[in-house]
Amino acid sequence: MMRSLLTLLAALTLWAFPATAQQGGPLRLELTEGVIEPMPFAVPDFVADTPAAQEFARNIARVIAADLTGTGLFREIPAEAHISRITSFESPVQFADWRAINAQALVTGAVNVDGSGRVVVRFRIHDVFAGQELGRGQQLVGDRDGWRRIAHKVGDQVYARITGEGGYFDSRVVFVSESGPKDQRAKRLAIMDYDGANVQFLTDAASIVLAPRFSPTGDRVLYTSYETGFPRIYVLDVANVGRRVLPTLDGTMAFAPRFSPDGRTVLYSLTQGGNTDLYTMDITSGASTRLTTAPSIETAPSYSPDGRQIVFESDRSGTPQLYIMPVSGGEARRISFGQGRYGTPVWSPRGDLIAFTKQSKGRFHIGVMRTDGSEERLLTASFLDEGPTWAPNGRVVMFTRETQGAQGEARLYSVDITGRNLRQVVTPSGASDPSWGPLQN
Amino acid sequence: MNTGQIISGAGHLALIGWALLGGAFRSDPPPFEVVEAMAISAEDYAALVAGQSAPEAVANVNTPEPPAPGENAPALVSGADSAPAQNQPEVNSAPPPDPAPSPPAPVPAPAEVTDTPPVIETPPEETAALMPEISPRPQPRPAPRVAPEPVAPAEPDVRVDDVARPEVAPDAGAVVEEAPQEATAPEEAATEIVTEAERPSEPAPTASLRPRARPAAARPEPAPPPAPAPPTETATRPAPIPTPAPTPPATDRGAVSDALAAALGQGTPTPERPAGPPLTAGEKDALRVAVQRCWNVGSLSSEALATTVVVTVRMFETSKPDNSSIRMLSHSGGSAAAAQQAYEAARRAIIRCGNDGFNLPPEKFEQWRDIEMTFNPERMRIK
Repeated sequence: MMRSLLTLLAALTLWAFPATAQQGGPLRLELTEGVIEPMPFAVPDFVADTPAAQEFARNIARVIAADLTGTGLFREIPAEAHISRITSFESPVQFADWRAINAQALVTGAVNVDGSGRVVVRFRIHDVFAGQELGRGQQLVGDRDGWRRIAHKVGDQVYARITGEGGYFDSRVVFVSESGPKDQRAKRLAIMDYDGANVQFLTDAASIVLAPRFSPTGDRVLYTSYETGFPRIYVLDVANVGRRVLPTLDGTMAFAPRFSPDGRTVLYSLTQGGNTDLYTMDITSGASTRLTTAPSIETAPSYSPDGRQIVFESDRSGTPQLYIMPVSGGEARRISFGQGRYGTPVWSPRGDLIAFTKQSKGRFHIGVMRTDGSEERLLTASFLDEGPTWAPNGRVVMFTRETQGAQGEARLYSVDITGRNLRQVVTPSGASDPSWGPLQN
Repeated sequence: MNTGQIISGAGHLALIGWALLGGAFRSDPPPFEVVEAMAISAEDYAALVAGQSAPEAVANVNTPEPPAPGENAPALVSGADSAPAQNQPEVNSAPPPDPAPSPPAPVPAPAEVTDTPPVIETPPEETAALMPEISPRPQPRPAPRVAPEPVAPAEPDVRVDDVARPEVAPDAGAVVEEAPQEATAPEEAATEIVTEAERPSEPAPTASLRPRARPAAARPEPAPPPAPAPPTETATRPAPIPTPAPTPPATDRGAVSDALAAALGQGTPTPERPAGPPLTAGEKDALRVAVQRCWNVGSLSSEALATTVVVTVRMFETSKPDNSSIRMLSHSGGSAAAAQQAYEAARRAIIRCGNDGFNLPPEKFEQWRDIEMTFNPERMRIK
């Protein structure tokens, strides 16, 4: 009886003081304030398995490091600070040495040139502080001339493995290369790697070319040319530089083309009788469909990634603003309501954001907003910024920045969607109207 | 009428008579001031008053006649007023210049003086008598009684007496039966009276020893890793401390302990090391800040930044994390791939900043041996 009473007393005590019962549990903390800074990493020169691979081993490591550093998310620890030397790809990594220099990620690799002259690259990604490998080692094989692409692919793998989102290093950009004085500027289509390397011209400077746009697969380019005196839309095959003009009525002006996500339809603007509206055209048959009939100017259309909606620019409200409507036409919904003029909207490959050009108070901005127009965020500000284009992973925006004055020229810049890491894309000459292509296979 | 009443009546009559005839009801006159006065004669009074009488009034007053107008009026002659002569001020010639002052006689150079610092007499050192910080413990007051020979204090049960007698107890085995008596002893005495103030006392201690820390219960050290093992620290769960054999509760207190243990479902409690008090909010914040300092989300994807992960870690007693024990318990808000990236960032934070050990109170090791950290990047999310 006494024991039962005591048991009851103990139960009441535990009910009254539950903390006593929880005392044996783990200590619980909630962390909400971290830091945002580039992750230190190290990419020592890859190990050359053969003397012929010596130069590749060094150059590939340098390109990988440049790719990662260029994102603004990573910071390379220079080779002079390295304690360990990677002399064998198979040897275990001395993590303590890399931990000592605060390298949080380590990329090791080896390069070999086989008998057929192909470059073989093996690499591993290590989490230094965890003391383990991130994922499994991989091997890439390519031509000797394609060693940069191999390096970009390694960089993409590292980027994806650490950040959790796809890379964009092994991609190309088509743009308008500009040269000469401002009043007699020669413009040619050109294509290059995303980092400005391997520039190749696709057209000559005989006529003015504008607004090139990559196809979803990156094998074709749409662009506008004044070759006939009127702006016409051309389709260019990147591989053989062959081209053809899309059929439009005489006396009309067609411009601002954009491929549909499936690559079979072209969305463009057509000016006829002083009115500019949106049209679609089947590339194979050449059949056109009119999407808008408003008396205002509708231009700069861009598909959503799923191909169901279109975002475009219209001045139907009195000033250029951004609208979204179904891909088959119909009622358009305005999404931009800020002060200023909005234009050149581009839907993000992720589908969550729309990049645009904004002119406000005498300055131009590149900005992003959600597809419902909320959370508008201006990323840049200058005398003239325009024409944004998305990186394949939807994390970076490239655009044209033109400097003021008679000696001013256009250059390409890129910026992270957070607004950080604004940097110029180095090109041999002036450049404008970039269009970022997809990741290459 | 009895005798008492007679005596009482006579007494009362005597008292009333004394009050009436003795002046008990007469009041004394009020006190007055006595002033001395001087007598004066009538003549003297008249003489005094005559000096103060008013003068007689004059009835007739002779007033002079006013002059008749126009009669013997003097002729008024008006002439030009001559300008008053003005005395020109005398022109003063320039005063002769003051003679140049003669240069002062050269002051003889002071004789070379050698400063000799005054000798400062050092005042006699004064030593302040400081009161002891701790009052001496009171000591038993010495016996004030003075005796030719000191007498030691008697046993507590001994009665004080002039003669010391040993205690005699009845002996069961004895034939002669003696009357029992109490033990006696002379009163405690000293040869001289020494007061408490005169007795030299030992100086009070100026410092006290720091109390010793609570002795930690003996815990087995983590088992050393085998020779070929990697150099990373490996956590080993401490071996269970031997549990003493349960003893039957002899008292109600033991029954309460058993009842509590039964309520907790633990059976007989094992003598684990004391858990110590829970971590204070400051200690928790310090740990949180230490980990957050290394929680770098700058390289995470947007989706990973929208993913909250709960990570558990077991700590070494050296306040370093057991890296091999870090696990992701759960995640929310993102895909599994994004959660993996978020978890790896959290793991890096724990390992990096715990490499040198966190600042945790060792006496509360049981409180922070197992930690669950929720990494919620909501505030740093890329919108």
